[in-house]
Amino acid sequence: MTALVRFRLAGFLRTGRALAPVLAGLLTLGILYGGGRAQPAEAYGVSAVVLFPVLAWQTKILLDVEPDVQRRLALVAVGPAREQAAGLVAAAVAGLGLVLIALVFPWLVGGVTGPSLPGQRSVPAGVALGLWAHLLALPAAVALGALASRVITRSAAYGVVVLTLGSVCALVLGLSKSIAPWLAPPLLPTAKALVGPLPGSTALLLTGWALAWAAVALTGYARARTRRA
Amino acid sequence: MWLEDVGLRYHRRGPWVLRQVTVGVAPGEAVVVLGRNGAGKSTLLQLLAGVLRPSRGRVLDRPSVVGWVPERFPADQPFTVDGYLVSMARVAGLSPSEADRTVRHWVDRLGLGPFRTVRLAQLSKGTAQKVGLAQALLRPPGLLVLDEPWEGLDAVARELVPQVVDEVLADGGSVLVSDHRGETVRLPGAREWRVADGAVVERASSDAAAVAVVELEVPVGQLPATVARLRAEGHHVLRVRGQSAPPETTCPAVEPPFEVAR
Repeated sequence: MTALVRFRLAGFLRTGRALAPVLAGLLTLGILYGGGRAQPAEAYGVSAVVLFPVLAWQTKILLDVEPDVQRRLALVAVGPAREQAAGLVAAAVAGLGLVLIALVFPWLVGGVTGPSLPGQRSVPAGVALGLWAHLLALPAAVALGALASRVITRSAAYGVVVLTLGSVCALVLGLSKSIAPWLAPPLLPTAKALVGPLPGSTALLLTGWALAWAAVALTGYARARTRRA
Repeated sequence: MWLEDVGLRYHRRGPWVLRQVTVGVAPGEAVVVLGRNGAGKSTLLQLLAGVLRPSRGRVLDRPSVVGWVPERFPADQPFTVDGYLVSMARVAGLSPSEADRTVRHWVDRLGLGPFRTVRLAQLSKGTAQKVGLAQALLRPPGLLVLDEPWEGLDAVARELVPQVVDEVLADGGSVLVSDHRGETVRLPGAREWRVADGAVVERASSDAAAVAVVELEVPVGQLPATVARLRAEGHHVLRVRGQSAPPETTCPAVEPPFEVAR
């Protein structure tokens, strides 16, 4: 399966289509950090929210770059379960690259500062919490991108609809006055939790929530794939 | 391996492309799949190869290593011939050194040597088809599924397909081939399945002796005499092409695409 992950990442990176989501990510981060300086944890919380659609889009691009027949050839070679898993892992690895950029970016443009007042988080703690926030967003974004990929939606128009609706719902349903906040991955709740002190129980709850959401969405992807090669 | 009562449709409310198909192929056996365009030949082959899952019924005892040559090789990929084949060998589970050795073997055998560093997108259709053939043979397949393998191949490569098929059969593998151009006469002894109206019917071979189709070129002036002589010798004239008047006796309605004497 490692070989297939590597093959798909190579296919993604060599076509140049990998550039589009990276540029979109940089643009989003540029706007986000253009306003001024913030504490790392807070800033990273918001960055994970705004990167969610970009990560999902990148996943869709990565999965769609491979021609349908090539995906079926891979399926014949390694079997359906590993073929699907390899695509998701490749998307997650590509997503980690974007997350890394998101963690480094604010330090390059001076979007974040170290602690200036007593009681504020240290820089390593802030970065660690930022990494955690992004890692919560990544599985959900990969799952959404997979559900929007061509093998599931079969047409470009439906793909865009799933991607856009999914991203909008993930944000709107996560607002504090939402009627069904549990329908969305915990992007905004995580960002909010990073503003103040973060109790361990909240961190655990958010982690479980994010993983459960991704697990449900990925199960949907796997089920839909039984009829779609 | 067996298909047991297999039905397939592409969408939940879509039409059944295949229904209640029960067919089997034994190790060492070759099967030719015939049928009109859109009859479901490719669908049947993809079910057997494991690309598609049946909507109804079961697939039993599929060999663990399957080689599938799709009808059209997906050449729209950012790899060179060598890079692609080595990657596919690694995906198939070969070690780096095994992968290199196997790829070199098939590249030489299929005459892909001059194209090793050429990008897939720049290959001609026939050369791309050879890459498609090579990727299916990187591990010795227990089941080899060839969807129109002769499409676009040059004369030398066309002779290679039966050789490869024979080798797979000799190793105890099964081979399925679809074809609509009558090239399968190159596979004497193969069983014949005909796909029509969602069903698969095995065509009973009239006798065990294999038959072949031979194309002849005959001067128009000698045509009636030649046809008569061939018939007198017991040959079966399937069709005469390239002249307006039909030969004096009409031949029985047989498969239209064959043009010659049997």
